[in-house]
Formats: sequence, structure tokens, C-alpha cells
Amino acid sequence: MDLLILRTLALEALHGWAISERIHQISSKVLFVQQGSLYPALHRLERKGWIKARWGTSENNRRAKFYALTTQGRKQLELEESTWRKLAAAVAQILETT
Amino acid sequence: MLNDLLLRLRSLFRKETVETELDEELRFHFENQVSKFIHSGMTPEEARRRARLEFGGMEQVKEEHREARGVNLIETLFLDIRYGFRILGRTPVITLVAILSLALGIGANTAIFSLIDTVMLRMLPVNKPEELMQVRLRDQRSTSEEANPTFTNPLWEQLRNRQDVFSGVFAWSTSRFNLARGGAVSYANGIFASGEFFSTLGIRPAAGRLIVASDDQRGCAGVTVLSYGFWQDHFGGAQTAVGSTLSLDNHSFEIVGVSAPGFYGVDVGNKFDVAIPVCAAALFDGKRSRLDHRSWWWLMIIGRPKTGISGDQLKARLEVLSPQVSAAALPQNWKPKDQQDFLKRTFVTTPVATGTSDLRREFKQPLNILMAIVGLVLLIACANIASLMLARAAARQKEIAVRKALGASRARLIRQLLTECVLLSSAGAVLGILFAEWGNALLVRYLSTARNKVFLDLSLDWRILSFTATVAIFTGFLFGIVPAFRSTRVSLTSAMKGSQTAEGERRTKFRPGKWIVASQVALSLVLLVAAGLFLRSLAKLATLDIGFDRNNVLIVRADLNVAKVPEEQQPVMLEQIERQLQALPGVVSVGRSVLTPISNFMWNDNLQVDSPDAPTGENAIAFFNFISPGYFQTMRTPLLAGRNFNERDTKSSPHVAVVNETLVRKFFPKVDAVGKYFRVEPEPGQTAPLIQIVGITKDAKYQSLREDTSATAFFPLAQITEHTDFNSIELRTATRPSVLVPAIQETISGLNRDIPLEFHTLAEQVDDSLVQERLLATLSIFFGGLALLLAMIGLYGALSYLVTLRRAEFGIRLALGALPGSILSLVMRDVAVVVVGGLAGGALLSFLAVRLLQKLLFGLSPHDPLTIGTAIGLLAAVALLAGYLPARRAMRVDPMVALRYE
Repeated sequence: MDLLILRTLALEALHGWAISERIHQISSKVLFVQQGSLYPALHRLERKGWIKARWGTSENNRRAKFYALTTQGRKQLELEESTWRKLAAAVAQILETT
Repeated sequence: MLNDLLLRLRSLFRKETVETELDEELRFHFENQVSKFIHSGMTPEEARRRARLEFGGMEQVKEEHREARGVNLIETLFLDIRYGFRILGRTPVITLVAILSLALGIGANTAIFSLIDTVMLRMLPVNKPEELMQVRLRDQRSTSEEANPTFTNPLWEQLRNRQDVFSGVFAWSTSRFNLARGGAVSYANGIFASGEFFSTLGIRPAAGRLIVASDDQRGCAGVTVLSYGFWQDHFGGAQTAVGSTLSLDNHSFEIVGVSAPGFYGVDVGNKFDVAIPVCAAALFDGKRSRLDHRSWWWLMIIGRPKTGISGDQLKARLEVLSPQVSAAALPQNWKPKDQQDFLKRTFVTTPVATGTSDLRREFKQPLNILMAIVGLVLLIACANIASLMLARAAARQKEIAVRKALGASRARLIRQLLTECVLLSSAGAVLGILFAEWGNALLVRYLSTARNKVFLDLSLDWRILSFTATVAIFTGFLFGIVPAFRSTRVSLTSAMKGSQTAEGERRTKFRPGKWIVASQVALSLVLLVAAGLFLRSLAKLATLDIGFDRNNVLIVRADLNVAKVPEEQQPVMLEQIERQLQALPGVVSVGRSVLTPISNFMWNDNLQVDSPDAPTGENAIAFFNFISPGYFQTMRTPLLAGRNFNERDTKSSPHVAVVNETLVRKFFPKVDAVGKYFRVEPEPGQTAPLIQIVGITKDAKYQSLREDTSATAFFPLAQITEHTDFNSIELRTATRPSVLVPAIQETISGLNRDIPLEFHTLAEQVDDSLVQERLLATLSIFFGGLALLLAMIGLYGALSYLVTLRRAEFGIRLALGALPGSILSLVMRDVAVVVVGGLAGGALLSFLAVRLLQKLLFGLSPHDPLTIGTAIGLLAAVALLAGYLPARRAMRVDPMVALRYE
């Protein structure tokens, strides 16, 4: 979940709803974020200092809270991506060899 | 990290903003979702429903989010406290009862603990008290702690001059001095302080200077240092006090200074008013000064070891010093064997950071027992509140279910309930500290007697406050934990429906209540048994046949030495006083004596009887008193055989004695003692006259009521062997003794205006010896009664709760034709099970616990069946009564009302 959020935010700053939509889209509608758990996760990440929040104006001209990656968050994303890739590769290897 | 902290702080202090922002963010999300669904062709209602389903409970999300914010703990604590206040405020009566019983419990604990703290734990308010060591004299038989703490002045001077281990060492002794010149006495607490007393302790003067080494030289003039309190009370803190004179026992002392505030001396339980140098003792003693007396044990010694001297070095060095010092201060008139023992004694040291105290020795055990008693009372109070909380939790079931449904986690609810409990106990503690202050003043007054004012510096310190705080939090958890866990285990549906719980659930729900009440009964029984034992002990002591009649006897102490009446004229003057007092209206009879019974003073020596199987050594000891012919009549001690003394028994006539039954049994077991002779064991190289027994009296107590009456011999005052300062006049009065005081004062000052007079009654004197017993009996009865009351309330509350729970069941039973009586017996059976269980547990507990009391009891075994039986009977009766009231209510349940309620 944390990885997904960080990945989504790597491109641009987004507000909560957009994040959930984006995850839904890029995962080809396979992953569906339980929307209720999105916000606690966002705030957890904010506390860890990986993302920061600011208030901005949304597409339909309403006040919305936008989340963006921090430098620390970017590093964390790279780290997690590589770990994940290694894990995925390992799993894939196991699946192919058997 | 900083980021994290800032966010936490922001959510803590700008809670409103954070909450609105969260709200706004979630709403924004929700609306976006809705409009997305509308775009995809749903009706607005449908879209909203879908969005809500997808999102989950909005409030749960918020709660989770708050959790994630991390300040929840502090924030919800404030919230819980606010909420707790509201909830507690909603049931003011229950809250008040709870707080009051907690305040009593915590207050009692604080009061007793602060006594223990002051008497036993607190360090002396002096410079580095932990370094101070008290010097004692150890003989082969004793351990360091038991070693004799008193010294003669020659021993002290030798030790002071020869020692090289202490950077400072001082001797001191407590005494009291009469401030008045003639007439009614007015005593000040005094200390004899050697030259280095103040400098070793590191005390500074508040005015003038303190006693220094040059003040403490043989042949010194009298100087005195006042305590700060005495200076304030008697001189209003005036600077002019320094340089003025103060009369102590009719001798003038120049006030040279005042000691710093907060210093009361090194003896805990007393405070000093005036300090004078040790050398000044010569001023009071006349010819045989205690400065040179080699068997007048009156000084105590404290030293501060030099830095760098280890405990072992100190011990080794003192062992080397001991024989030299002892040899130089050997009492010449002792028997050779005693002299050898004397030379074998060694100086040992014990830490004295908390000061010395007779009070500590006397009250250590009673205080520990009282601490245990008040601890039990607090436990019982806790149990009470726990059952109260259980009952209330039942009433709040719906509220708790609603909060659970709204997303509160169980942990969160438990935390909230515990917060309420700690809130209660904290309120109890605050009130308890007030109770403790008040109770302490009362306790100290209780410990004090007319002749011995106890002073304790009972100011609150960090130790007492942290004790109380710990107790408060601990008790809060103690009575909160079971109800909190119980009540948060609700089944949502049944609670929401508002229905009564199922039969099985009800049983288990009440089980902790039963346990709580049973343990209350058990603990109360322990307290009642202890109270009963102390009360019976006191009653036995108070009604004991003590061999004299303590009522309506006034004791007058007239010190002729202070009035500077020459020794040889004193007997004549005392006889004159006796005659004149005899003539006063209201006086039945008058006697005089050196000592009075139960006065803490004694005069004893070994007797020699000319018989082969006579007791020897320590068995040959007998206690003495010198009396006038009027003594026995005044004390109402009956003469059993022979004659009383009369005016023909004079200095020059043959030596005679009247002895008590115990002495006869011990020394003359088989013969008629009247007419027989004995000697008082003489000092080596001297002879003692033969003394003939002329009469036998009934046994009477000599030193204490608890003693097995000792062998006592009475001699005529006219035949006294050495001069003594002790002079008592006893008057048996027809009315209340105190009425006569002015007339007596007038009579005696008519003879000599300078004689100081001290009055008290014999009854007071006897009562004062029972302070410890009375304290224990009074307090244990008070707390036992309190425990009984609390247990009764607990039982009543728990049963009322049970009856409420089973109301529907009783209704059905009644509707189906059960007789009210059978319902009553149904409930009473429950009561009986709990009470009998509690009593059995309590009996077992008491059986184990009372053994600790053995030493404090008098004339009965700790397993006294009468006491235990009475306590069980009383508790059972009270418990059944407390149980009957709710049971009767159960019997009167109206079936229709009960059923409709369902």
C-alpha cells in the first residue's frame, strides 16, 4: 500500500481521491484501494516525512489537500521498488523453474 | 523527526483545525466519488449509497486516522478526563460516596505512612547525615544494634581525647529544665551538648553564635543556645534575646545565640528548646557531679568519621581504643567481676542518618501494624468501588454498545473507563491528603502524654506525596480493571435491543461481584479480629488488679533542691508540708515517697538472705521504694500481715522494711517472713545493716502494668541511705483531684516561695503508660468499624445489582406461582454462600495474621476464641442484614411490571 501511494505520487502531487482513482487505473483496475484505509495511510506517510501535504485547488475548483513526495520519500520509493523487484524476480524464478 | 514532532504538536494544539481539515478532505473525496458514480449513470441516491459502501464507516476512518496522528494518547486523555468528569457528575451521590470512602482510605494510608516516614525513614536535616555514626558500647553478649548507646562522662572525655578517627564527634543528653522560679513548673526541653555538637552537625546560627568547644570546659559558666521555635515563641524572635539571661532550674544562663530554623535536635519525637554545654551539668548536681560519676550513664555519642576512613578501619581503630578508654574510666566501686566485664567492652558504631528515637523503638511495630490495617481498609474500599463500578457498568451497557458501534475499539473503551477510575481515586487522594493532615495532628496528640510531649515534623515531603500519588493511581486501576474488562465485553445486538441478558451470561456477569464481596467480608473479619484483640488487651490491662487504687490520687512533685533548701533541712520541711496538706479540706489522706508506681523510674538492688537456698545473682534483685507511714493508706494497698511504719521508725531506730507477697514467695518461701532479716548487697569492702521485715503488703505493679509483679521492698523515708532529688507527695482526695491544686500551691508557697511544683494524677500516670495499647485499640476499632460499614455497603450494593439483573426471572417465578418466601430464600442462599465463603477465608487469614500481634497483646492468646467468635458473629449478623434488604425487594417484585420491562 505504502509503495503504491509513493509510486502514484512520484509523477505529480495529487489529492486523496485522485490517488485512489490513479491506483485503480494504473493497476488496470485489479487493485482496488479500500478507500477508508487510504487516509490513515496517507497521514502515516506524512508523519514519516516521506510525503508532504499542502492545500491547493482541485480541477473542479475546490479546496483540496494535495500530497507530494519529499526527497526522503523519493529515496524510500527507490529502496522499496528495488526490494520489491528483487522479491518479484525471485518469485517469478521459482514459478518458472518448477 | 522534527517533521514528525511538528505534526504531532500541530494536531495536539490545533486540534480544531486538524479535525476540520480531515473532515473537509474526506468530504471532498466522498463528493468526488459520488459525482463519478453519477457520471457513470447512477441516480444520485444510488451513487451516494455506493460511495458510502466503498468508503466504509466515515467515523471509523476518522478514528483510525486520529490513531495514525500519534498524539491520540495525550489528546484522548484530555478528552477522557473531560468525559469522565461529565459521567461522574451525572451520578453525584455515587461519585461522592466513592470519593469519600477513597479519601478515608487514602487519607488513613497517607497519615500512617507520613508517621512512618517521619519516625523511621526521614534523614536528619543536617549536613551529610548519611556520614554520621552513633558510638555504642558492646559487651560480649550483644550485637552492634543492641549495644548500649549511653556513656558516662569520664568515658566520653577519654574517648574524645584519645580518638583519631572522627573529624568531629559530640556527646549529648536530653533533659528538661524548669523555666519558672518557684510555683507551678513550666518545663523546657533541654539538651546537654558537648562543644562540637553544632559544628559536627553543620548547623548555623540564626542569631548570635552557637555553643563551641571553649564553652564546654570544666567549671564553665552557664551559656545557652535557643532553638529557633523557642526563640520565636518566647522572645518573638527579638534580636535583644541574645545577651539576656534565662532561668533553667533556678540557675541563670546567658543566651548566646539561636540555632537555625528546621533543626529540632537529633532525637526524633522530641524537639529541643534550649541547649547548654555538658559541663553545665555540674551546676545542677551539687557535690556528686555527674561529670565525674563513673556509673552515671547519661550521654550519647555521635561522630563523623574522617574522610578516607573505611568502615573496617573505623572498627579496628575503635577496638584498639576501647580498653585504653575503659581502663581510664573504670568505676572503682564495682565488684571485680563487673569491672572485668567493663574492661572487655568495645566501642562499635551504627549509622544514625535518621537520628535516634525512643519513639521509633516503641512504635515501630505498632506503626507497621497500623500500616497493614489501613492498607486493608483501602483494599476494602477499593472492593466496594469495584462493585459499584460493576453495577454502574451494567447501567451503561447501552452507552458502551453505542460507542463500540460507532467505531471505538475495546482498548479505547477500557482506557476511558480506567481514566474515570483514576480520576475518582485522584479526587479521593486530594481529599485524602487533607484528611491525613488533620488525622496526623490528632495522632501526634494521641501519642503525647501530659509529661511527654511528642513533637514530629510532619510536613509533607516528596516521599509522602509520591506515596499518595502512587496509591491513588494504583487503587484507581485496582478497582477499575475488572469492571472495565467486564463491561466492554458486550454483545452489540442484545445490548442495542435493550433486552436483559441471557441466563448464562447473567451468572458469569455477577461472578466477579460475588468474589469481590466475599473478599471484603474476609478482609473485614481480619480487621475485626485484630480490633477485638487489641480492645480486649486494653480492657484486661485497664481492669487489672494493680494493687493500688489509681482514682482520686493527686501526685505533687516538689523539688527542694531547685529551691536551694539545704539537704539536711529537707526532711523536716517535707514533713511540715505533709502535715499542712493533711489539714486541707477535701484531702482524705497524704503520703510521701521517693518513687510512685508506673512512673518509669526505679530503684533496685540485690538482696541477701541468710538461707542456703536463697536466690543469688540476677534472681536476687528486688525493687525499692522509700515511703512515709501514710503511703499505703493513700494508695489503698492493703497490709496483709505485720505492721505499717510509724513515727517510731527513725534514722536511729533499727532498720525495718515492709515487703510484698512476691518478695516473700521468692526469698522466704516456707517460713513466716514477718520478723525475718535481709541485707541489701553492699559495695565491695563495705558492710550493710540487717533489715527486719515488719509487714507484708499485697502485690502492686511497680514499673508497668504488663510486668509480672516484681519483688518489692518498702523502707521508711526516715531511714533513706542516700540523698535523692526524687520526692513525691500523694494526696487521696474526696473530690476531683485537680480542684485542690490552687490550695496546695498556696499552702506550699506559704512555706517557701521558690519550690517548683508539678501536679498530675495517679490515674493519668497509669493511663500514660498505655499510650501504645490505647492507640492500637482505638485506631483498630475505628478502622474495623469502617471496614464493617464498607463491607455492608458493598454487600448491599452487589445484591441490589443481582436482584435487578434477575428481576424478570423473579417475576416469572412469581407469576408461575412461586411463594415470595421461596424467592427470599433463593436470594438469601446467594448471600449465605458469599458470606460463609468470606468468613471462612477471613478466619483462615486472621489465624495466620494475628500471630504477628502476639507481642502487643496482654493476657490473651492471639487465637482467643471469644474474640474470633464475636467477630464472626457480628460480621455474619451485619452481612445478613445487609443482604436481607435487597432480598426483600426481590420478594416483592410485581410480576406484571417485571415482565413488561422485558
